[in-house]
Amino acid sequence: MTRRILALHLPFLPTDRLKRVMPDLPDGAPLATWCSAGSRRRLTAVDAVAAGLGLTPGQALADAQAILPELLLHHEDQAADGALLLDLALWARRYSPLTATDASNGLLLDITGCDHLFGGEAAMLADVLARLRRAGIAARGAVASAAATAAALARCGADSPVIAAGDEAAEVGCLPIEAALRCADAQLARLGLRRVGELLALPRASLARRFGKALLDRLDEVAGLRPRPLQPIQPPPDLAVAADLAEPIITRTAIDNILNGLLVDLCRSLRAAGQGVRRLDLLAWRVDGMVQRVTIGTSKPSRTPAHLALLFRDRLQGLEPGLGFERMALEVPVADLMPDGVQRALAIGARQDGGDSLAELIDRLAQRVSVRRLAPTASHWPERMVKRNGLHAAMPPMPPRWGGQRAPALLLRQAESVAVQSDTPEGAPTSLQWRGITHSVLRADGPRRVEPEWWRGNAARRDYWCITIAGGEGLWLYREGPPQAPRWHLQGYLL
Amino acid sequence: MLSAPAAPHDRPIDQSALLADLRARVARLEDSGREATVGRALVPLCEGLPVAGLARGGLHELLATSPGAGAGFAAVLLGLAGGAVLWIAGGAAKTVPWPPGLARCGLPPEQLILLRADRPEDALWAMEESLRCPAVGGALLALDIKQEAMLTLTATRRLQLAAEAGGGIGLLLRPESAARLSHSVALTRWQVAPNGGVRGDPRWRLALLRARGAKPGGPWCLRWNIAEARLMLESGGMEEQDR
Repeated sequence: MTRRILALHLPFLPTDRLKRVMPDLPDGAPLATWCSAGSRRRLTAVDAVAAGLGLTPGQALADAQAILPELLLHHEDQAADGALLLDLALWARRYSPLTATDASNGLLLDITGCDHLFGGEAAMLADVLARLRRAGIAARGAVASAAATAAALARCGADSPVIAAGDEAAEVGCLPIEAALRCADAQLARLGLRRVGELLALPRASLARRFGKALLDRLDEVAGLRPRPLQPIQPPPDLAVAADLAEPIITRTAIDNILNGLLVDLCRSLRAAGQGVRRLDLLAWRVDGMVQRVTIGTSKPSRTPAHLALLFRDRLQGLEPGLGFERMALEVPVADLMPDGVQRALAIGARQDGGDSLAELIDRLAQRVSVRRLAPTASHWPERMVKRNGLHAAMPPMPPRWGGQRAPALLLRQAESVAVQSDTPEGAPTSLQWRGITHSVLRADGPRRVEPEWWRGNAARRDYWCITIAGGEGLWLYREGPPQAPRWHLQGYLL
Repeated sequence: MLSAPAAPHDRPIDQSALLADLRARVARLEDSGREATVGRALVPLCEGLPVAGLARGGLHELLATSPGAGAGFAAVLLGLAGGAVLWIAGGAAKTVPWPPGLARCGLPPEQLILLRADRPEDALWAMEESLRCPAVGGALLALDIKQEAMLTLTATRRLQLAAEAGGGIGLLLRPESAARLSHSVALTRWQVAPNGGVRGDPRWRLALLRARGAKPGGPWCLRWNIAEARLMLESGGMEEQDR
């Protein structure tokens, strides 16, 4: 099956963005963005009015101001333009799960098998353009069987934008080379080559010899002879359900209702597929062309609508409906196998009953606080005695004498520096100064020498002391060095 | 459902037995409608204390004079409670519970789930949700000293109700200096002090400051026998340990 690609060209994206973020800009006044390259200032983008009056991107700023003294100028912001283009690519996922950005002002949608949902390719293209126009973004579009062909047609503003498969070479023949191939080679113009068709008629060998292979590759792509696959902005989800709304919704109650309906649909599909979600995205399309996303994760596969709705409950606060959402969708980027009818029991600790309620509790907690389990590792360096364990993964057994005989119950997140007095240079501490107070040491146990693990960088060796200060509090200190000058640190509280 | 009052002739004559009988009847009245198993089971402590253990489905306070001793004793209680254990820490706390030390107190790492909440509201919410879950054996909340003010009477009441619903044991680990004068609806309030257990088995000096249905007392010297995995009452004080 041949692929069908819908290409969009957004000729005035930077100025359209400015008009969206600054609604009080005067209507009908020419607008342009500029940047300085070295000592020269140039226009980078112009809007439709300014273009109609003869301004072009790349023109010197002084010239433009001389031609149009009333020109409104704003500094260019490439990052914001790129972000808007990415947002629009996300928005376009309402038409197809595979969307990509094209250069700095184009979009590509793989609409293979999607067009019938919108009444055919021409109707779909009209719908895209109408929605973009309503969101204040000027666009031209074309549909063809190769991405480069569609993009070239969109850029050149072809009259018949929907091209049947196989007609690409004929249709691109009359397009100007510079715009269609996006190459500015003065040599071509000097030879009198202006249209793509003229290039296609020339012998390929001499063309390659004269202009290099890159031009030929580009020509083949545009003529549809060698289609290049799309690189979507994100991989298509394993499973998705969507709801198109007759009226934009704003209230939380309405959003909850739609979400619950979607969750029921999704869980039915998951059950049919024998899968459970591990991560779930809620996408909400706003009327003004923005897409908002809320992501939840579960620690083990789940397909219970009530549980998933509970996980979304607090996260939905982050949605900003603005003028309302017109479409909502649930997408499953990560799913795991979950055999039907079998609920795998989870056994953290001894009580095995209600294992699923524990898993659901952990999922709920993980949406708001950090949840982790620490597994023992065979290391004698205190910072490496534990490592993170999967929340439901089996834990390795405790190594013998793990943590030693005098392991502290609490460890300071950051070892604190303390001043210690002792009778002899390497002897037991007799008093210590900690947080500005001097404590006398009742008893000191040690030292226990811990050598650093040589295969993990060069830390200094440590001598550990367990001391009891007046009041009975037990502290876990270590002396660092040599090779550095000895320094004392407090690392934990003993039992 | 209320039980019928006992007939006069089978009422015990002994005064302490009479009191116990009355207490049991009051407890039945308070628990009316609730399942009989919830709140009945105890986490056993050791013989010789005025209370046989800490009631499951209830909230208990540990006021620690030193952070390490409090954490160690809390680990003992949570280990005895069994099941999945959630250790909830406030985000501003400078310390983290360290599994090797807790394992020494009878709380193996596979039972332990560590939570860290940046805001005290989240920590209280997490504690309530955990206690409400029937699959949780015990949950501990250790707030930073600056966030202690969040543990109001209302907050502890909510936690107590959640614990009654879930049936796990709830522990509030609080610094003694901050919490001594505060009010709460916890069933018991203990003071935990270190007792020189640096070498060998961990030891604590424990005092019962308040309890529903028991007389405050102490201090007692307790030792966690690592080999036998049980708490033991010791007659000696801390002097012989230190000198």
